[in-house]
Amino acid sequence: MGHTGDWTVEVEELSKTYPGGVEAVRQVSFCVAPGEVFGLLGPNGAGKSTTIGMLTTTIRPTAGSARLAGFDVARNPRQARAVSSVVFQDAVVDRALTGRQNLQLHARLWGVGSETAERRIGELAEIFGLGSLLRREVEHYSGGERRRLEIARALISDPKVLFLDEPTVGLDTRIRYELLDLIAGIRSRSGMATVLTTHYLDEAERLCDRIAILHQGRVVALDPPKKLLHELGHELVELRVAGDPGEALTKLRHAGIAVDGAFSVGSTLTVPMDRSAADALETIRNLGIDTESLTTRRPTLDDVYLQLTGSRLAA
Amino acid sequence: MTTVTAGLEAAPYADVDQTHPTGPSVRGAWLTLVKRRLALSAHTPREILAPMATPLLFALVLAPALAKMIPSGGDLDYRTFVIIGTVGLLIPLACTFAGIGVIVDRKSGARRELLAAPIPRGLVVAGNLAVAAGLSVLQVAVLMLAGWARGSHFHTGGTGIVWFAGAVITFTVFMYSLAEILANRIPSQEEYVGLTPVVAILPWFLAGSLFRIADLPVGLAGFARALPLTHALALLRYGLLDRRALGLHDIWGMTNTTTEAALSMLVLGVWAAVFALLSVRIFNRSAMA
Repeated sequence: MGHTGDWTVEVEELSKTYPGGVEAVRQVSFCVAPGEVFGLLGPNGAGKSTTIGMLTTTIRPTAGSARLAGFDVARNPRQARAVSSVVFQDAVVDRALTGRQNLQLHARLWGVGSETAERRIGELAEIFGLGSLLRREVEHYSGGERRRLEIARALISDPKVLFLDEPTVGLDTRIRYELLDLIAGIRSRSGMATVLTTHYLDEAERLCDRIAILHQGRVVALDPPKKLLHELGHELVELRVAGDPGEALTKLRHAGIAVDGAFSVGSTLTVPMDRSAADALETIRNLGIDTESLTTRRPTLDDVYLQLTGSRLAA
Repeated sequence: MTTVTAGLEAAPYADVDQTHPTGPSVRGAWLTLVKRRLALSAHTPREILAPMATPLLFALVLAPALAKMIPSGGDLDYRTFVIIGTVGLLIPLACTFAGIGVIVDRKSGARRELLAAPIPRGLVVAGNLAVAAGLSVLQVAVLMLAGWARGSHFHTGGTGIVWFAGAVITFTVFMYSLAEILANRIPSQEEYVGLTPVVAILPWFLAGSLFRIADLPVGLAGFARALPLTHALALLRYGLLDRRALGLHDIWGMTNTTTEAALSMLVLGVWAAVFALLSVRIFNRSAMA
């Protein structure tokens, strides 16, 4: 069966329960369109890697279904693998081989003809700045160079679906930003759908057209990042209160400052602003709430996650 | 650090042919995996030449020295007896060390990339097996050539060579499959290497490599008859040294040597087939959570 709909990736009620009863993924559903970058955002243990594992046919789903370019990952795993490529969280390369040998290996295993493969290797080496590195054995590569090689390798087969599993984990900040630029650049490539897992908020916000926020194996929100952030307003006031945070929240609500999106975690109240922050700060001071600190800032995806789950995403 | 500046907006090969939805042909994928394993385990002259030291040492030094100490029984040349017995050490060692590559693949290599490829996953095992068999055959060839150069006499009749070659290949399939199973089941390389003497060396002392199993205590002789290596060695000697098939007779106690050889080949074949299937099954299971 080939591609039947408008979506390249179709995931329906996908679940995975490991032996021992651990429910790693619970009825996750989402679709990814051609050319879209779709983010799975969540902390460690949220179910991101298990979801990717099921989509790349290394983890057997307990229930539900998933299709890549129309190929069911359980019924047609080879076809599903043929239309997809993966960049893994850890380094997954033959270190004793050269960069070029690693690229050629992928091309042959994905059935790319040698002439086409050599042309693509040349093009990707230029794009990813790998030209002078390809003759070296991968064990001599830096972390950033190896990661660039792995992303280039995944593109050799011109996949319809690219999985990027925490692609920038463990890299220093400068290399991370370089890679983010590269990943942003490949989004328009041949209408390829990209599924990115990350726990970096800036990464998700910068790269993804839509984000599914995962918490304890469930999708708790699924929208474009701008929309998720918009629900928290343009600005947030964050108060650390000395007294009862519940009482302080009630006072803010009565004063018309705290709307539905306001929430408290511990002694910290986070209040989306639907009015000028300066006005709100003046009103809060006049309410007589005993505050230890009071700041205003733009909302982040961490606030979205905090509001949805009661726990922080960022470390 | 290389600065990455090239533009990425346009897909450079959007107009070219799409990847075939089922990936490469089975043969093409298997050849690719064989080439990969060769490139990983035998890509320098040192990696090819070092394994040849053991067969040369046995053929040129140890076998002649042992033959001097121990007089040949009957009309069997003990030096040739030991050289053929050495095949039973070389193959297990070559296969067991090849298994380390499986652990390296799993721990820090490209195993997950191979699992993500659109190929039958059992081909990964088949590719590794082909290279292990190739290196084993090369070692055996060096051993036999060096033994012949040092004065050993082999019967090189047509059927004898067939029995010999059949036993080498079948025993290699068994040994590599066993190594693959262990490499997929044992969590660490240290633990795996610790098992090597038990798997590769201990059976060699019991299977009739240096002396006939008829000379073992009764209980141990019974145990030796069940070892695949005992059947392999008896077939190897029947092929190139001992047309009276003393080794086969020690196992089966029959009078028809061809029947004895066929039975030993059957036993070896069953061991090899069962372990080969098991190794693919265990690899596939270890690949899926």
